[in-house]
Amino acid sequence: MGDIITIRQKIATNIGTITGLRTSAELIDNPSPPIALVNLDSVDYHQAFQNGTTILNFTVSVIVGRSAERTMQRKLDAYLTPTGAQSVKAGIESNRSLDGNCDDLVVTSASSIGSVTINDQTYLAAEFQITVYA
Amino acid sequence: MAKYVVTGTQVTLNGSDVSSSCARAELVINSAEVDTTDFGSGGWTEVIGGLKSGTVSLDFHSDFGAAAVSALFQTLVGTIGTVTIIAANGTAASATTPEYTAEVLVNSFTPVSGAVGDLSTFSVSFPTSGAVSYATA
Repeated sequence: MGDIITIRQKIATNIGTITGLRTSAELIDNPSPPIALVNLDSVDYHQAFQNGTTILNFTVSVIVGRSAERTMQRKLDAYLTPTGAQSVKAGIESNRSLDGNCDDLVVTSASSIGSVTINDQTYLAAEFQITVYA
Repeated sequence: MAKYVVTGTQVTLNGSDVSSSCARAELVINSAEVDTTDFGSGGWTEVIGGLKSGTVSLDFHSDFGAAAVSALFQTLVGTIGTVTIIAANGTAASATTPEYTAEVLVNSFTPVSGAVGDLSTFSVSFPTSGAVSYATA
């Protein structure tokens, strides 16, 4: 398997195929929406003998824009759609081996769809859960 | 030797190391029970050991890559294969990481298995053929 730093970067690269959506492979203090932030939540070791399979559970937080703007809701809806050029799921799964750095990955769900407050500003956002088999 | 958590059992099939695609390994060695109960058994049954047999059970993560485990099994159904298992997370036979070697009849293979969203896996369970050997060196 590839190292986690590379896997994180490759996920960000996949999301980067979505026009107009910035990406960051790591969490940052002052995100500038619309942006997708890649975060590693947990690691499940020993899924096969001799470190043959490790499961990495990532969350990609997509922060769209000011929640009061109607266009932001539409933009978020497009990001949440399972297919299409603006689909975050399709973007992440566009290169499921992450250029050979994992066996496979799948976007399992999207949750926490709603408002988040960052630096006293309220934004629309959603979280995508990714399971990476490496 | 101490108790151990299973993390690194080494499994080979016909000389190919399939450990990294294997998530569970089990070797069971049995002996048949032959009844010797008679009028002198004092009201209890008596048995002696009969023919021995064994079963090798393995759980795999499907992988059709070149020389990977799914491709390896593809042509083996109906043939006798050789399975080695080094226990206790060992990579070589030793007194504390013994190696078991068994000829097995590859009598089944499930090349396609899995529900949507799941990691594709398959399990096999093969009867042994002949003696199961045990090596500590």
